[in-house]
Amino acid sequence: MSSVQSPTVGRPGLAKMLLASPILGPVAALLMATIFFSVMSPRFLTGTTFSLILQQVMVVGVLAIGQTLVIITTGIDLSCGMLMAFSGVLMASFAAQKGMNPFLSILLGIAIAALFGLLNGGLVTGVGLPAFIVTLGTMNIAYALTRIYTTSTITGLPDELTFFGQTFTVAGTDIATGTVLMIVLYLITWFVMKYTAPGRSVYAVGDNIEAARLAGINTRRVLLGVYTVAGVAYGIAALLQVARTGVGDPQAGQTSNLDSITAVVLGGTSLFGGRGSIIGTLVGVLIVGVFRTGLQLMGVDSTYQVLITGALVIAAVSVDQLTHRK
Amino acid sequence: MSEQATGRVLLQMRDIGKSFPGVKALEGVSLSVREGQVHALLGENGAGKSTLIKILSGAYTRDEGEIRFDGKPVDIRTPADAERLGISTIYQEFNLTPNMTIAENIFLGHLPTRVGRIDWGAVRTRSRELLASLDVDLDPDTMTGTLSVAQQQMVEIAKALNRNTRILVMDEPSAVLGERDIENLFAVVRRLQASGIGIVYISHRLKEIFELADEVTVLKDGRYVDTRNVADVGMDDLVKLMIGRDLADVYPGRRGEPGDVVLEVSHLAQAHLAKDVSFTVRAGEIVGFAGITGSGRTEVARVVFGADRATSGEMTLFGKPYRPRSPRDAINHGVALVTEDRKRQGLLLKLQVYFNTTVAGLDRLTSLGILRLKAEQTLVRSWIENLRIKTPSPQFMVVNMSGGNQQKVVLARWLSLGIKVFIMDEPTRGIDVGSKAEIYQIMSDLADQGVAIIMISSELPEVLGMSDRVMVMREGRIVKELSRAEASEEVVMQYAVGHEEVVAG
Repeated sequence: MSSVQSPTVGRPGLAKMLLASPILGPVAALLMATIFFSVMSPRFLTGTTFSLILQQVMVVGVLAIGQTLVIITTGIDLSCGMLMAFSGVLMASFAAQKGMNPFLSILLGIAIAALFGLLNGGLVTGVGLPAFIVTLGTMNIAYALTRIYTTSTITGLPDELTFFGQTFTVAGTDIATGTVLMIVLYLITWFVMKYTAPGRSVYAVGDNIEAARLAGINTRRVLLGVYTVAGVAYGIAALLQVARTGVGDPQAGQTSNLDSITAVVLGGTSLFGGRGSIIGTLVGVLIVGVFRTGLQLMGVDSTYQVLITGALVIAAVSVDQLTHRK
Repeated sequence: MSEQATGRVLLQMRDIGKSFPGVKALEGVSLSVREGQVHALLGENGAGKSTLIKILSGAYTRDEGEIRFDGKPVDIRTPADAERLGISTIYQEFNLTPNMTIAENIFLGHLPTRVGRIDWGAVRTRSRELLASLDVDLDPDTMTGTLSVAQQQMVEIAKALNRNTRILVMDEPSAVLGERDIENLFAVVRRLQASGIGIVYISHRLKEIFELADEVTVLKDGRYVDTRNVADVGMDDLVKLMIGRDLADVYPGRRGEPGDVVLEVSHLAQAHLAKDVSFTVRAGEIVGFAGITGSGRTEVARVVFGADRATSGEMTLFGKPYRPRSPRDAINHGVALVTEDRKRQGLLLKLQVYFNTTVAGLDRLTSLGILRLKAEQTLVRSWIENLRIKTPSPQFMVVNMSGGNQQKVVLARWLSLGIKVFIMDEPTRGIDVGSKAEIYQIMSDLADQGVAIIMISSELPEVLGMSDRVMVMREGRIVKELSRAEASEEVVMQYAVGHEEVVAG
């Protein structure tokens, strides 16, 4: 028998690294995708393309902030896209049709999304319903309310509502103000999750709600807070959606719930709760954006883009499962 | 010794080694089991017992060493390999499907067929025979989910027998059983032994080893310590082998008179689970709560900690009315609870050591709304050092730690808050002897510092070894208060089960 220590069996070094910093996987995927598309398409590696990618993902990006928080608490939010559509239609209508002060209409629109979030949280904590069911319900309610309110696109918006769709130029590249807002929101959320007690309690509740309560955390308040903050994020996403398209669109956000969940999962956040990072979600959002745009530049049909996104999600969750398997 | 008396050597594991990332779980461990022998495997949690039997059952593969079966070298890489050799393992968590009948479970994966169809007649007959051979009176068509734990265990054994088992590994089979069921289990083990099966028996309870085992192999920290004939050793010897020191040192001697009353509970009731409970705890005093499971001890603890509301009754803390509305409220009053179920109620298992340590006291680490992460790390490191928590770093996930170290993390959480009333519900459950001694020392030190401690425990030696006073609960009431001098295992037990008349008479 030799004295050489046998190599670690069962968990290879790569899996160990992924366990230590779960964000490595998504970042590596993003880098590889970027390199791949840069090689495949000469137009890919340009400031303009990246600015475009950021513009394309900013709405889903902001939705995914709310979705991440909800998923960390072991929940899931199916209502985000419909809340965004409802909120967007209302803020557009208030400002363009009802003659309300634009800022006030924006605030009202966000407040309504927040109230819906509070309702989600209340039903999850108060009645103890599964988040899937609660948000399935509010998704349909918000969808119906939007259609009841209007079925036609609202146009003629004042500048205040389209501000975040406008661009400014840095070093020859046009950058949308909305993408700056998205990045700022990510930084704020990241800071709160890492450097504040409320951020910590979100993780604690997601890991084990009973243990969190017995450690002195007001778990009800945490959940209500998470769903309400998620609602605020959806309201802000509504503003970005309105600004980007220049209209209040009752058809908006039809697939946003799944798109946002995709981004969260690609970013390495566990659907079983307690584990995940907000920066990971941003990376996940960018992965989707890079693939969509890269494939577009390669002339790949949009249906195939969806197909590849689907495969990516399954790959991401598989990697997560395999690294965490005992 | 004659071949006849000891039986042929069936299984030999020699110099087994196994590593996990960052940990050498086993090194140079040997175990040899004869036909018809009960071989006890003894060691603290984390000593490597589970790893060894997982290697034997094919759940893990070894990195080093040799396994011989029937004298021939074998390679066990999968559970199927182990099964083919006739090695069966009964884990603490049973491997039964609750929605299937006993017979289906016994034959799971091995259903006999006749012309392509399952031969249910044969399945039932054989199941009935197997159950009868274990002296178990159960209908093979009963749904497994409706059985008691003890009965399910018997089904597991029947399942193993059905696979022509020659080595049966039992991982703490008595841990889940009551007194009477343990007697039955022993009878069954002896019967299996007589039929020539080699049995590897893992238990924390030394008493059982003397009652049941022929030989005992002791592991410590993943290494082989010794193999002894049970007839040649005493209990003290085994403890010494296991923890490397004497049993007498486990309970710290503690003196110093208790101070003023800290917590007074009067006529407390909680639903139908606790009735008219009154007691006091003084500063520097350890009050033990004995009683059988379900006697209301945990319910009282949860009310004092604000996890549940009292239906009626009063409490005072330092002479002031105390009526906690939530665990947070209790914590702010200086009351802490170490829960009986560490994994489900105590720890955030998939989060880190530092997270678990500071989760209840983040307000103290916050200035202007922002966590001082550096100060947090310093605090956590000092507690890791203080309590000698074995962890590679504060960033380690607690799920990967041993029971004793996990419990120390829970203790660190509360100690760092400067708790004044400490309720500890089964503080050493599932913890190895070495860590137990450390936890007793911590409790003793806390009492010396004037902390009032309520200790709920189902382990009588612990209650008697640690408590200044013992409250015995039964059916939601405190039926007897005993001084340290009055309390003995017999007396406490008799009050706990309701035979105090016998004692009095």
